[in-house]
Amino acid sequence: MVNEVLSPYREAVDAVIEAGGEALRQCYQCGLCTGTCPWNYLKKFSSRSLIHQAQLGTADFESEETWTCVTCRACVARCPREVAIIDIMKALRSIIAEMGAGYMPESLRVTLKNIAGAGNPLGEPAENRHQWAGDRKYPEQSELLYVPCCVSAYDPVARRIAQATAAVLDQVGVPFGVANEPERCCGESVRKAGNESLFAALAQHNIETFSRQGAGRLLTSSPHCYHTFLNEYPDLGGRFDVLHYTQYLAGLLREGKLKFGKELNIKVTYHDPCYLGRHNGVYDDPRELLRGIPGIELVEMDDYGPDSICCGGGGGRIWQENVKGERLSDLRLDQALATGADVLAVACPYCLLNFEDGVLTTSASIQVKDITELVREAL
Amino acid sequence: MGVEFEPRIVGFLCNWCSYAGADMAGTSRISYPPNLRVIRVPCSGRVDPILIVKSFQMGADGVLVAGCHPGDCHYAEGNYYARRRFAMLRPFLEYLGIEGDRFRVEWVSASEGRKFSEVVSSFTNQLTELGPRATGAAV
Amino acid sequence: MARIGVFICHCGTNIAGTVDIPTVVEAAQNMPMVVYAVDSKYNCSEPGQAAIRDAILENRLNRVVVAACSPWMHEKTFRKAVASAGLNPYLAEMANIREHNSWVHNDKQAATDKAIEIIKMAVAKVSRHEELFPKALPITKRALVVGGGIAGIQTALDIANAGHPVVLAEREPSIGGRMSQLDKTFPTLDCSSCILTPKMVDVMQHPNIKLMTYTELEQVEGFVGNFKVTLRQKARKVDHAKCTACGLCWQKCPEKVDSEFDLNLGKRTAIYIPFPQAVPPRPVIDTANCRYQKYLDFTAEGREGKAPPKCGICEKICPVGAIDWEETDELITEEFGAIVAATGYKPFEPGGYTELGKGKFADVITGLELERMMSPAGPFNGEVKRPSNGEHPKEVVFITCVGSRDKQRGRTYCSKVCCMYIAKHAIMLKSHDPEVNCYVFNMDVRTVSKDYEEFYEQAQLSGATYIRGKVSKIRQEGDQLIVRGEDTLLGEIIEVPADMVVLAVGMEHSEGAAELAQKLHISYDVNGFFVEAHPKLRPVETRSDGIFLAGACLGPRDIPETVSQGSGAAAKVCGLLSQDFLTTDPLVSVIDKVKCAGCLLCQDICPFSAIDSETLRDGRTVSVVNESICKGCGLCVAACRFGAANLHGFTQEQLLAEVLALWE
Ligand SMILES: Cc1cc2nc3c(=O)[nH]c(=O)nc-3n(C[C@H](O)[C@H](O)[C@H](O)COP(=O)(O)OP(=O)(O)OC[C@H]3O[C@@H](n4cnc5c(N)ncnc54)[C@H](O)[C@@H]3O)c2cc1C
Repeated sequence: MVNEVLSPYREAVDAVIEAGGEALRQCYQCGLCTGTCPWNYLKKFSSRSLIHQAQLGTADFESEETWTCVTCRACVARCPREVAIIDIMKALRSIIAEMGAGYMPESLRVTLKNIAGAGNPLGEPAENRHQWAGDRKYPEQSELLYVPCCVSAYDPVARRIAQATAAVLDQVGVPFGVANEPERCCGESVRKAGNESLFAALAQHNIETFSRQGAGRLLTSSPHCYHTFLNEYPDLGGRFDVLHYTQYLAGLLREGKLKFGKELNIKVTYHDPCYLGRHNGVYDDPRELLRGIPGIELVEMDDYGPDSICCGGGGGRIWQENVKGERLSDLRLDQALATGADVLAVACPYCLLNFEDGVLTTSASIQVKDITELVREAL
Repeated sequence: MGVEFEPRIVGFLCNWCSYAGADMAGTSRISYPPNLRVIRVPCSGRVDPILIVKSFQMGADGVLVAGCHPGDCHYAEGNYYARRRFAMLRPFLEYLGIEGDRFRVEWVSASEGRKFSEVVSSFTNQLTELGPRATGAAV
Repeated sequence: MARIGVFICHCGTNIAGTVDIPTVVEAAQNMPMVVYAVDSKYNCSEPGQAAIRDAILENRLNRVVVAACSPWMHEKTFRKAVASAGLNPYLAEMANIREHNSWVHNDKQAATDKAIEIIKMAVAKVSRHEELFPKALPITKRALVVGGGIAGIQTALDIANAGHPVVLAEREPSIGGRMSQLDKTFPTLDCSSCILTPKMVDVMQHPNIKLMTYTELEQVEGFVGNFKVTLRQKARKVDHAKCTACGLCWQKCPEKVDSEFDLNLGKRTAIYIPFPQAVPPRPVIDTANCRYQKYLDFTAEGREGKAPPKCGICEKICPVGAIDWEETDELITEEFGAIVAATGYKPFEPGGYTELGKGKFADVITGLELERMMSPAGPFNGEVKRPSNGEHPKEVVFITCVGSRDKQRGRTYCSKVCCMYIAKHAIMLKSHDPEVNCYVFNMDVRTVSKDYEEFYEQAQLSGATYIRGKVSKIRQEGDQLIVRGEDTLLGEIIEVPADMVVLAVGMEHSEGAAELAQKLHISYDVNGFFVEAHPKLRPVETRSDGIFLAGACLGPRDIPETVSQGSGAAAKVCGLLSQDFLTTDPLVSVIDKVKCAGCLLCQDICPFSAIDSETLRDGRTVSVVNESICKGCGLCVAACRFGAANLHGFTQEQLLAEVLALWE
């Protein structure tokens, strides 16, 4: 073997920094990110090594590892040097996505193409976006706009979420609308996959659509849409009052407008979605809502709140295949089962899909439900 | 072509940072235009606005106040007072008909000989471009 | 009438190379009030200074301008030269025609013109100079040391040995600080109490030291050489003059509470001394926990219901009648010439690191807790035991940088002592029990002092395994803890089963540091540590004259460094107290009582709290400058709307004269 003298690949380092990975230089290689990263319970994934390679300018753009990170923010929340590790991952990916060089998983490539073409990752026609709503008619203009996320709008399993949410809002008697001209994907995973230009186009479309309809408030089902509308659209001129439905319903509960009629008598454990919890600090509202439902005993898993483990769906991973034995959702299901809960409550369509899949493949004896479904059942 | 306009600049330099910074420019032989006349003060916070107004009244084309960088003040917080005071002085000068650009506040540390010379050069150039003070100003 | 002499220096060719000296001399001769102007090759040389002296005498000069280099260079020199001719030294002024002129301009004409103007300004200014006289103030030859850790002890002893009286004020019932909680000390492994206790006893017995424990600083007034300090002696409920330290009371007291000194690993009684070697060895009553006090409070407040038991055993048993329920806090005011703050640190509280499970797992302990376990006089009599089951641990994992080098959940800085105390712990555990295996999860091992690297090597040789990486998770499996993290050198996740985990917590500012700093008018940094006057050249001084610092209140440091600083601060204090008078710089502010409107704005602005108010006989309140505190910044002058404040050496008239001179 030849010993290679490391010559500084300045251009490569600069490219990463230029693409948003400024934090690169701050890292002092302690490895806390790697140890914190849940992947390492299933397979080797050293984010620290990846960062070090990027520091040296020897990042391997042909490696699958560029696409492994689920952007769950567990490492970022602990990093002693406050390195924006997700930004570094994003920067590496955008070099591939924008320049077309290097490896990108096929399924992700297809998804991005779908989003670019049809406006949603599933490649479904735009006109079918509101099929989940059935015959219900919505007003032309509305202050409060419900934006269900592509997955809960199109996916036959996740549709339950959108339907339950609309039903709850109707029962409480809150006037709301949906986008007249179908919205497109919020662009969160597109951005995490490094495709900035596509993200900008999607955001542009959505901001215009929402604004045209006089929307002041956006109500989301997905923490990913929530995060993007809340934190990333303002930079592009989209300023809305953004609420995840758990926040909104918890508010109604506090005001006494949301009233329950039934007792459910079940034991529930709650899985914090990364983009609601760690990314945006919303831990209490979903729990308050669950505790407010009569007959629910809420129990916590070993890791919860800021220490919660990702379902595996973030950072564009929801569109990629995970071989059996390498699924974060199974890891989390084990923790949920250990609590003895009847129901694993989620608050994100990605989590719902991943855990439903996990229950199916492992025959775990636990039900997966979105919180909004539980709310509907107890009305 | 007539004689080129040479602005006259009065500079109030704090003893601990900027005066020493000007000394440093000297010891390092970093040259700059000869238009500045230096008045040594203990602290930029000592500079009474009257001194600035008086300088303009006498005919100064520009006034420079230079002190320690924020946080470095020899007297802990004098330069903060200076900063606030001068922020209020500027509109007043403009009211008197003196362009805001004729009054400069800079932070120059004792080791920043190079910066000092750059400040004097750029201020001199700027004032040269501005030309002589307009007649009819209140001072 | 001013008779001004101007002395123009060639400085070899430094000035004369660019400035046409004869032209300047001629111009100077024609300036108003100048009666004499002359040039010299080197004004600062012996002959140059002699020439100035002679010229003053011969020409009856009463003001002098030296046109030469920067005043930073030679102002003192020329003031002295002027004084040697019998003139007040403050009647000299320098015109800087070298640094600000000949060295930065190449054009001879321009430089010559500029030199003339600079001298003109100096002449205008010097004509308004007045005679100024430094003041001599008496000094109270007594020092106050706040904080009785090893830093304060060393400081107090050194000052006392130099012959000055010292008051040592410590807020806990005993002196000794954190060092008294330690078992052995690196890098020599001598037992902490063996080297500390004799010093504590020295403090108690020293004729020049007055020890005040259970005492806090209440208020500070005055200034260098003349501080007036109010101290609060907290109620001990025990008359220490009577108490013989026989120990009967704390042996018999029935109320047992967690011992702070033992970090809650052991118990103490409600009347107590914190540890057996405590100095003074006399007890205090912890009134929050004392049964009799609760009974007294109950009856005094006339509450309903069942009264707590009327205990009072200590009072009954005390052979000398030292228990005094009537005792209350006492405020004592004393005068000092100098104050030293030596208030130390507190260990970092690791609760925020949820992944490490402190509080959740009993066998996760801190380094200081381990010190208490290992101490023969500690709660476990020197036996290291797992808090969960009392067994001796065989597998011990250490985790460094808990709270240190962590922007997000801790402090940005390195705490300096942790790498070393872990090496110490590893060596000690092995010597307690050869079957123990130690693993040290570390970041970078930092051992930068004499004999430290060798000590680290000794730890490795003793069998400690060093793993480079930060721990990301601790979980319980059976009765063991599994410690998980990336071994960054292998690039692999590793898990180490442990019986006990020791967190090397860093050092943080002590409780109440900010409040103390405010009382002393000294600054503290973003981390709550006190700020030295200069990080390199004045490491134990503050920007407030007469107030000094020593030890871990300045930032993390070990005992050797702390002790050196204690001695350093003592030397500074002795330097001050060995003077009979304090001479003050006369370049200070004055406030004209007639013009002063009494708005007192200057008091708010003064960074040194050097301005007091005074009520005149006509009933008006005016500001007065305390010349011994004033540093001459002149902020008050610029702020005064009534033209009442002025600054000697930089008066309004002098500065205006400089401006006007440019257009004369
Ligand atoms: C686990 C551990 C092990 C260590 N082992 C070693 C070792 O082996 N060798 C070594 O060299 N160093 C060691 N150190 C470091 C050592 O503890 C410090 O260097 C030393 O204690 C600093 O002394 P100090 O006097 O500055 O502070 P402290 O020991 O903290 O003393 C400060 C004193 O001031 C008092 N005080 C605080 N505030 C006030 C107030 N407002 N008014 C009155 N009194 C006040 C406190 O009660 C205390 O008595 C170790 C540290 C830790 C955490």
